[in-house]
Amino acid sequence: MQLARIVGHAVSHIYHPSLRGWRLLIAQPLDKNQRPDGEPLLVIDQLGASIGSLVILSNDGQGARELVRDPNSPVRWFVLGLPD
Amino acid sequence: MRIAQVIGQITLSRPHPTLTSGRFLIAMPISLRALSTTMQPDGEEIIVWDDLGAGLTCWIGVSEGVEATMPFRPDRKPIDAYCACLLDHLYLDEQATREVLS
Repeated sequence: MQLARIVGHAVSHIYHPSLRGWRLLIAQPLDKNQRPDGEPLLVIDQLGASIGSLVILSNDGQGARELVRDPNSPVRWFVLGLPD
Repeated sequence: MRIAQVIGQITLSRPHPTLTSGRFLIAMPISLRALSTTMQPDGEEIIVWDDLGAGLTCWIGVSEGVEATMPFRPDRKPIDAYCACLLDHLYLDEQATREVLS
């Protein structure tokens, strides 16, 4: 799991079928003192994370595939939780 | 998935048998600082398998690692980067970006 901050969202009209209907956010992974750590990621979100909020991301591919209910989905990162 | 821009294309002369019908792009990922200022990719180039027909200078979402081979299950392909979506619009919130980068 990884701490990250949502810094925006992305719009895509041509995508892998398993991404249909999913909200695509741009998340910047953070290290332990909330400094940027690596490149921004495209994550799918079902919890309604607002832009600018802190989130916990998961990179468990198996969990992501179960989330989108498609065993052939290339998606990996998804919003797991919204820390208070 | 990482955000990357297509900067070129590659054709294979003697590929692995499973890669013969593939279309390969050269894509360069981008950091948040570059994305919020110059929009010039500054990452390390990667070769991406493309099914969606991404053209030059197109922004794409690249899925990496074992997830790049999932769309081909049960077949197996020796690739580690897959173009999962073509990005039409990238909206960055100034305040959130400034906060993260400061």
